[in-house]
This record gives sequence, C-alpha cells and structure tokens, in this order.
Amino acid sequence: MSQLEFLRYVTIGQYLGRDSIIHRLDPRFKLLAFTLIVVAVTFSSTYTANVLLVLMVALLLSLSKLPLGHTLRGLRPALPALALLALFQMLFPPQSFGPAQDCTVIWQWGFVTLTTCTLQLIVVSTARLVELFVLTSLLTFSTTTTELVHGTEGVLAPLQRIGFPAHELTLVVTIALRFVPTLALQMERLVKAQIARGADFGTSGPFRIIKATRRLLPLLVPLFLISLRRSEALIVAMDARGYTGGRQRTQRRRLHAGPTDYVALIAATGFCVAILWIDTISLDQVLIAWLDTFLASLK
Amino acid sequence: MKTNGQGTTVLVRRIVIAAMMVAITVLLGLLPVGGFIPFPTGVNATTLHIPAIVGGILEGWMVGGLIGLFFGLFSLIRAATPIFKDPLVAIIPRLFIGITAYLAYAGLKRFNELVAVGVGAAIGTGTNTVLVLGLAVLRGYMSISLAGTVALTHGIPEIIVAVVITVSVVAAWRQISTRPRGSTV
Repeated sequence: MSQLEFLRYVTIGQYLGRDSIIHRLDPRFKLLAFTLIVVAVTFSSTYTANVLLVLMVALLLSLSKLPLGHTLRGLRPALPALALLALFQMLFPPQSFGPAQDCTVIWQWGFVTLTTCTLQLIVVSTARLVELFVLTSLLTFSTTTTELVHGTEGVLAPLQRIGFPAHELTLVVTIALRFVPTLALQMERLVKAQIARGADFGTSGPFRIIKATRRLLPLLVPLFLISLRRSEALIVAMDARGYTGGRQRTQRRRLHAGPTDYVALIAATGFCVAILWIDTISLDQVLIAWLDTFLASLK
Repeated sequence: MKTNGQGTTVLVRRIVIAAMMVAITVLLGLLPVGGFIPFPTGVNATTLHIPAIVGGILEGWMVGGLIGLFFGLFSLIRAATPIFKDPLVAIIPRLFIGITAYLAYAGLKRFNELVAVGVGAAIGTGTNTVLVLGLAVLRGYMSISLAGTVALTHGIPEIIVAVVITVSVVAAWRQISTRPRGSTV
C-alpha cells in the first residue's frame, strides 16, 4: 500500500546542500551561465568541442562538491534508451549534422554500414545527451526551487520594460509548485476510490493498452475538474485582494551579486563562444592529422 | 482593468489557470500512474501534453503556449528519455501544443463546440508528435523512416487518449450536453 502514498513521488526540489562555490552563486548568474553552457552543448557537433565540454562538466561537478555517485546514478535509468538510440542511429543512419565532410566506410556487415560520419553522429549525440543530463542535475542539486524561481524572475526582469510579463510568469511557477502536493493528495484519493470499487492498477502488461487507457479516464477527468474548481476559488480570492500584476511590486528577498558571480558569467560566456568557434573551424581534422603524423613518427 | 463577463480580471484568470495546468503536468510526470501508458514498443505513450490542450482551449493561445513552455522546461529537467535532454527537442514543440489546439478549436467553434474541442485536442497532440519527431530528425537522433513509424505507433493512440480526456473535461466544465437534446416541442 506504500505505493499509494503519492506525496513520496513529489520530489521537485532535489537540493543537496553543500558549501561550494556553485551553491553560493547568485541564482540569476547561475541560470545565465547554465543557459550559455547548455547552448554550447546543444550546438556542438565535433569531437574536440565535446571533449572540452566533458572536461568542463567534470570541472563544474568537482567545484560543486556534490557526490559523484549520486549525480551519476540519475543517469542509470536513461542508459538503455541511450543505447537504443545509438543502435537505431547505426542501423538507420539519419542525416548527418555539422559541417559537410567526406564520409569513409569503417566497418560493414550485411546491410549495416558504419561510416566516419555516422560514428561521429553517434559519439557526439550520446556525449551531448550525457553532458546535458549531468548539467541539469548539477543545477537542480545545487539550487533550491525558491532560488530558481527568484533567479528566473531576476533574469527576466529587464524585459519587463518592454512589456514582457516576467513577474506573472514566475507567479505561474510559484502557484503551480504550491499546488503539486495538494493535487497529489487529491490524485491519491481518486486512485484509492477506484481501487475500493475494484479497479486494478499496476498489473497491466504493455499489451493491455486499451485497458490501461480506460483506467486513466476516471482519474484524469476528475483531476482536471477538481483543479479547475480550485482555480476558480483562487481567482476570486486573488481578485478580492486586489492583485493587479507585478510592475510596482517589491520583494522580500533581494539578490546581491558579488565579484564571483560576474567572473562565473564571464567565464561561461567565453567558454560558450569558444565552443561555438571550435565548431565552425574544422579543428577535428587538424587534430586527427596531427595524431596521424605523430603515430607515423613513432613507427 | 480588463474584466470578463463574470467580473474577474483576465490577467488573474490566465495566471491561475495556467499555473493549475502546469501543476497537473508536473504531477502526472512525477506519479507512477496517470502520466504514461505502457506500450509494447518500450517507449510509453504520454498524457502530459493534455493540460496544455485543455488550458489552450479554455483560456486561449497565450495560456496554452505558456503551459507548453513550462511542460518543456519540466521535461528538460526531469525526463528520463534522453532525447528530451536536448533543449530544442524538449521546449520548442511543446510551445505550440496549446496554440494549435486553441486555433483549431476557435476556428471550428461556431459549427459544433464539442467537435471543435475534439479536433483541437487531436491537432494539439499531432503538433507535439510531429514537432518532437521532426526536431529529433533534424538534430540527427533518428532517421525519417524511424520517426514515421514512431509517429504511427505512438501518435495515433496519444491522439485518441487526448481527444477522449479533453472532450470529457471541457464538456463537463462548460456544461455542454454530450447527448442529443430531446424534443423541444
């Protein structure tokens, strides 16, 4: 029955308190730096760039003082899917990305051919996904949910001058996070009510799609209706208290940036630009050529 | 201040409905029941996009797009499926779920409201499937033929589930009669 205690699953904040430079960064600067590095990962398509990115992620991980095993454990459930993705990329090679280059066949067996381009595609996309995985864990482990929300508001605040609803956006997140546990308890009650009526959750195999879907209806439809009813109550409550949006609103907690925050942001910007630059010049070919001549000189 | 017919401000209504739908998305993503339907292919069909559709149909394209944005950010942070760790695949497709759902609904509303809701849900889900797989192809994670197969095996069941749930929710909330009315003589 312990599976039915739904609050156990509601683990949005995965914060792990450590006394590290990453934990102490101003959330606004941390978010900006994080975004820049994520952009660098997303648009990297070469071996060289990804080697540098892996090193960067490792450096950040060690700076954060987070336990390595705990951070990487989150990767374990994703491993089969990563392997499957790589397998499919090999069996049905997609269009390659990055600068156009000559592909040479490395290995062939039956209809399966592995070219240098496909190999690069598989290695780079796997590396990218692993890097992104560790980066997002790093952010959520080192930043509390409150800090994330305040940080987002701070980053978006300058846009308010041109009418961008930064405060309203963060209010959406705040209300949503506030209601997740409430709705979890509601869902628990709905599931228990169905079980009391003889519904069977948990024993369906993957081949009972229709059964699994029909079981969802008496859960999801009431869940939506109950939350809409709660929304109406909240709307009336906020209106009655005269909520009018956030332009002149002040905050209880103010964020202050120090020199470390600026250094971190500048370093992240430089790193991002460097990675994007490495991708445009064909450093891979140059390095591979060097390696070739080096190996030849050894013989 | 802009108010609607019921006397509540439009801004507050949009914020709260969007927040509540984001809460449902996050909840379904975290709980062991409700968010995913196990499939024989190993990749689960999802119901996580339904709040974006419901929000879009009830409160307009802006709310729908906003719910989609937070759905995308949530799957970027929490998804176990590796391709959703790519921010382009996780966020961009989700922005459009609620928007296309609302546009389809608004266009067809004057003919038959229930049919419009159903078509909106189908189009919203289709947007998610097509854009996620399309970006996966563009980003080099899948070949076109593989993406096409996934679209057929997962897109169609997801559309059916989304239509049934969205129509039930919107019909019940707006109190639209689902049965043909009796004689009005």
